[in-house]
Amino acid sequence: MHDMKRRTLVLAAGVVVGGLWGAPAMAGPTPSMLSNTCAGCHGPQGVAPGPSIPTIAGMPYNFLKLMMTEYMKGDRPSTIMGRVAKGYSDVEIDAIAKHFAGLKWGVQGGASVKGKSVDPAKAEKGKALAKECEKCHEEGGKKQDEDTPRLAGQWLEYLQVKIDDYKTNEKYPQPKKMKSQMDKLSVEDLDAIAHYFAGQK
Amino acid sequence: MYNLTRRHFVKLTGGLAAAGLVSPMFPTLGRASQGKKHVVVVGGGYGGVIAAKYIRMADPSVTVTLIEKEKLYYSCPLSNPVIAGFRDMKVQRWGYENLAKHGINVQHDEVVEIDPVKRSVSTAKSASFSYDKLVVAPGVDFKWDAIEGYTEKASEKIPHGWKAGPQTLLLHEQLSAMKDGDPYIIVAPPMPFRCPPGPYERASLVAWYLKQHKPRSKVIILDAKDKFAKQPLFVGAWKELGYNIEWVPVNEGGKVTRVNADSMSVHTEMQEYKSSAINVIPPQKAGKIAHAAGLVDKTGWCPVNQKTFESTVHKDIYVIGDACIATAEIPKSGFAANSEAKIAAAAIVAAFKGEPEPDPSYVNTCYSLLSPDYGISVAAVWAFKDNAVAKVSGGVSPEKATPAFRKQEASYAESWYQSIMVEMFS
Ligand SMILES: Cc1cc2nc3c(=O)[nH]c(=O)nc-3n(C[C@H](O)[C@H](O)[C@H](O)COP(=O)(O)OP(=O)(O)OC[C@H]3O[C@@H](n4cnc5c(N)ncnc54)[C@H](O)[C@@H]3O)c2cc1C
Ligand code: HEC
Ligand code: HEC
Repeated sequence: MHDMKRRTLVLAAGVVVGGLWGAPAMAGPTPSMLSNTCAGCHGPQGVAPGPSIPTIAGMPYNFLKLMMTEYMKGDRPSTIMGRVAKGYSDVEIDAIAKHFAGLKWGVQGGASVKGKSVDPAKAEKGKALAKECEKCHEEGGKKQDEDTPRLAGQWLEYLQVKIDDYKTNEKYPQPKKMKSQMDKLSVEDLDAIAHYFAGQK
Repeated sequence: MYNLTRRHFVKLTGGLAAAGLVSPMFPTLGRASQGKKHVVVVGGGYGGVIAAKYIRMADPSVTVTLIEKEKLYYSCPLSNPVIAGFRDMKVQRWGYENLAKHGINVQHDEVVEIDPVKRSVSTAKSASFSYDKLVVAPGVDFKWDAIEGYTEKASEKIPHGWKAGPQTLLLHEQLSAMKDGDPYIIVAPPMPFRCPPGPYERASLVAWYLKQHKPRSKVIILDAKDKFAKQPLFVGAWKELGYNIEWVPVNEGGKVTRVNADSMSVHTEMQEYKSSAINVIPPQKAGKIAHAAGLVDKTGWCPVNQKTFESTVHKDIYVIGDACIATAEIPKSGFAANSEAKIAAAAIVAAFKGEPEPDPSYVNTCYSLLSPDYGISVAAVWAFKDNAVAKVSGGVSPEKATPAFRKQEASYAESWYQSIMVEMFS
C-alpha cells in the first residue's frame, strides 16, 4: 500500500504550481467549464455509458491528478488522452481532478449499444484469483483510497485493455507490487479477474 | 412572456399539460420577462439540445423552450457504418421525451421567422414565442444550385447522406444492389462543410464492404479540394487494409460541374462517370433559418463573438454548431457543437446574472472508422487568450500503430458516440 503513495509523492514534488488542496487562485475557465468538455467522451458528469471509455466520476483526487499529469507529460501511453491532457496547465489539471473526485460514481443507462457483459463463471474464478489484487483494490475493488482507482463496476472492456497494458507494456507506469502480481498471473487468469471486478456493484 | 394568441395558448397549454409542464411555464401570461428569463433554442441537434440542458443545469430559474421540427433525431456520426451494412439504423435514432425531465419545453415545430427587434420567433404552425435570449442551432443546408443538375429532387436518386435518415438507408441499398465491377462514386465538397473527415470515412467503409462483396469494384472520390482531413492516416490505412480507392483531387480534374440523375452520371471538366451507386455530398451553408434571419455574412455562415457565440449581426442571438463560424481551426463536428453549446450556455446565464463573460474552454474530437476494427482520431483543445481562440494542444492518431491500437480506437469511437448521445437525450 505505501508503495503506491510513493508514486503520488514523487508527482507532488514535481508539480510546483497548484499542488495545494485549497482552491488555486484561477484566472481563466472555471473548473466546471474545463470539466464539462470531458463529458463528450466520459459521459455526463463523468459517468460513462460504455462500452469502453471509463467512468471517472468519484475517482480519488490523487489518482485523477496523477493520470492527467502523466498523460500530459507523455509518461503514460494512451490512444488519445495524451493529446487531450496537454491542453491543460498543472493548475487546471488540479481543478479538474478535484471536480471529478467530487462527483458521484455511477452506472449510466440509456446507451443504444450495450457493453460486453460479465461472464458469471469467469467472475467466480476471478474472485478466487484476485486475493493479491485486493490487498490494494480492497472490498471487491469498491474501496478507493488516495491513489487507488475503483475497479468495481468499471467497464469490462476498459479493465481488460488496462490489464493487458499493465502486463505487456513495459512503458506503463504502475506500482511495483502490482506489476509483480501481474507477472505471476496468466492472461486467462487476469481476464477472469477483470470479469470479477467488472461484475462488482 | 409568450406572444401567443388565445387560440395558440389553448393549443399549447394542452400539449404542455400532457407533458406535465403546465404550471411553471405560464406564470401569468402577459407579464413581461420580469425576473424570470426565457431562452428559446432553435434546432435540437448536437448543439441545441446541449445548450438547452446546460442553461437549465446552470440556472433552473430560466425557462427554456426547444423548438425542433423533427420528432426523432438520427445521428450522422456513425451513420457511415449503416451504409456499409454493419450497423443498425435503430442505434442512430434518439427521441426527445427525456428532455421534459430537465424542465425543457420541447415543441415539435419549424421556426420560419426570427424578429431580432421584437425578440420573438414564429413557427410553421403559426405559434410565436418571445425570448430574452435566442440560441440558433439549425445545422447545415445544401447549396442545391452549386452543381448543375443536383437538386433536392435529384438527391432521391443520387443521395447525399449528409443528413442521416432515409438518405443513409438509400445509400446502403444502392451499395448492396450495385454490380461487382461498377465503380462507387463519391463527390466530396469544398471547405467548409460538416464533418471534414466524413467523406473519407465513408469511402473507407464502402471500400471495406466492396473488398468482401464486390472485389472487382473500386471507390472513386471526385474531390473539390486538393487535400483533406487526416489525409496521411487515411491514405496509409487504405494501403495497409488493401482498399481499392482512387482519389481525384481538384488539381487533377476532380471538380464535378454537372450531375444527371436520370442517366446516373456525374461530369467533371474532363470526364463523365457513370454508376448505379453515386453519392454526391453537395457544397454547404448555414441552415435555412439562419439565412432567413439575416444572421449570415457573405460566406453563407454566421459570424459570432468567439468568446460567447453571440451573433455579431444581432444582439441576444447565439449561433452554435455547424451554422456558426468558429475559428477556422474548429471544425464543423458534433463534438465541437457540444462544446460550443456549453460555452454559449455559460455566457447566457452569466449575462442574465450581470456577470462578466466566462472564460471558455473549447474541445473537439472526431473519431473515424476505416473498418469495424480500425479507428483513428483527431483531438484538440483551445483556450481564449489575448482576445482570440488559441490552440493549446491537439493532433491525430500516430501514423504507425499496432492493429490492437486501431481496434481500441474503434471501440472508443463507439463509446464516444454513446457518451455524447446519452448526454443529449437521457
Ligand atoms: C456522415 C457524417 C459523419 C459524421 N461523423 C461525425 C463524428 O464522427 N463526430 C462528430 O463530432 N461529428 C460528426 N459529424 C458531424 C455532425 O453530424 C454535425 O457536426 C452536427 O450534427 C452539428 O450539430 P448541429 O447542432 O449544428 O446540427 P444538427 O445536429 O444537424 O441539428 C440541427 C437540428 O435543427 C433542426 N432544425 C433546423 N432548422 C430548424 C428550424 N427552422 N426549426 C426547427 N428545427 C430546425 C434540424 O431538424 C436538426 O435536428 C458527421 C456528419 C456526417 C454527415
Ligand atoms: C476524445 C475522447 C476523450 C476526451 C475528450 C477525454 N477523454 Fe479521458 N479518456 C479517453 C480514453 C479513450 C481513455 C483511455 C486512455 C486512452 O487510450 O487515451 C481515457 C482515460 C482517462 C483517464 C484514466 C482513467 C482510468 O481509470 O484509467 C482519466 C483520468 C481521464 N481520461 C480524464 C479525462 C478528463 C479529465 C478529460 C477532460 C479534460 C478527458 N479525460 C477527456 C477519452 C477521452
Ligand atoms: C500495490 C498495490 C496494488 C496491487 C497489489 C494491485 N494494484 Fe492495481 N492499481 C494500483 C494503483 C495505485 C493503481 C493506479 C494506477 C497507477 O498508479 O499507475 C492501479 C490501477 C489498476 C488498474 C487500472 C484501473 C484504471 O481505472 O485505470 C487495473 C485494471 C488494476 N489496477 C488491476 C489490478 C489487478 C488485476 C491486480 C492484481 C493482479 C492489481 N491491480 C494489483 C495498486 C495496486
